Amino acid sequence: MAIRDIKIRIDSVKNTRQITNAMKMVAASHLRRAQTRILAARPYANHLDTMLRTLKKKNVASRHILLDDTPRKGKELLVVVTADRGLCGSFNTGIIRRALSFIQENPNTDIVCVGRKGYDSLRKRTDRVIEHYVGIFNDMEFFRSRDVADHVLDLYLHHDYARIKVLYNEFKSAIQQNIIIKTVLPVQPLESDIVSSIDYIYEPDEDTVIEELGCKVMHVDMWRIMLESSAAEQGARMTAMDSATDNATEMIGALTLQFNRERQAAITTEIIEIASGADAINQ
Amino acid sequence: MSKIKLEVRKPEGQVVKAEFDQVIVPGIEGDFGVLPGHTPFITRLRPGILTCIDNTVETRWAIHDGFVTVEADMVLIACEIAEKSDDIDAERAREAHKRAEKRLRVKQDDTDFRRAEMALHRAVARLGSLKSDSEL
Repeated sequence: MAIRDIKIRIDSVKNTRQITNAMKMVAASHLRRAQTRILAARPYANHLDTMLRTLKKKNVASRHILLDDTPRKGKELLVVVTADRGLCGSFNTGIIRRALSFIQENPNTDIVCVGRKGYDSLRKRTDRVIEHYVGIFNDMEFFRSRDVADHVLDLYLHHDYARIKVLYNEFKSAIQQNIIIKTVLPVQPLESDIVSSIDYIYEPDEDTVIEELGCKVMHVDMWRIMLESSAAEQGARMTAMDSATDNATEMIGALTLQFNRERQAAITTEIIEIASGADAINQ
Repeated sequence: MSKIKLEVRKPEGQVVKAEFDQVIVPGIEGDFGVLPGHTPFITRLRPGILTCIDNTVETRWAIHDGFVTVEADMVLIACEIAEKSDDIDAERAREAHKRAEKRLRVKQDDTDFRRAEMALHRAVARLGSLKSDSEL
């Protein structure tokens, strides 16, 4: 390769490195924001969970469809949560692969896609997608995830789905994401022993409270899932961009070495030419 | 006089954690005032105004959609929307009020009544929380 060409390559790799490095920083700050929001949602979610557990323990007899977890026959609904954007390692592909294998195992499954990447890919590979939400992660607000939750609730209550599951990336740490499937309906309170020991009076009555509570728990579950997925996405992007930046640095090193060798070779050739020219004159 | 603790939690975070002399909560069966030593009970909220009274200072919040847990010395509210009266855009609330009323009046087959009604309630609650700040 000519010296000039190498120079051009080096400059272009440097540009790429600048971009990946900037993306890494942006992902890191988005990640922090998502993490703070996960923490902020906790008091509210725990409050509802404790209420639910207390009620469940108290009147096991009056079961509501939102809470009834005895196995039932019927269709499955899988909510597939991916990102809206790419460049985040295997974040999206992992989910899509898992979704396809889930459909193969459970042929009677309908799909709701959240996130552009999952929708773009799954609608080509299966005809099971009945609804999709795109662009939620650009501007994360509670009411947006509530819309998704309300739609899913409506499907559960008025169309005979036995269960509603969500497939998403659980946020473990900035460098680790786990793909998990969580059952959101029927509503299951978190495993914990915290039950309120106070004997409350319920207004208007326990059944009305439990029905409304089921919906609200579902809303906040969905919100938490969206937040986790978005945190995981940013974490995955951060890792991917970090290794891209490292690769670029490595490549620049190798190219610079090659550039210097070529330069040295050119100089050596020139000196030899001059020296032999001078020799010829002297003789 | 002993005080009563109030905590208001939203999915986006805890918005109030303070002590007051008295708290007035919009329950589904009507507004009720809570003083220390109240009977423990749980009720749904309706869109309305949460009034917190401390000495003579009143703070008002428009709250919608949630639950309140009352214990002897504590009021815990979990709701999806809570806005302090100072932060509410009166103009927008009035617009929403008009819109919702119109939607309920002009009956069309595809009108989602439950939604329109909820929207109306919300607008009324927002406007209500502003009321004594500046008469509308």
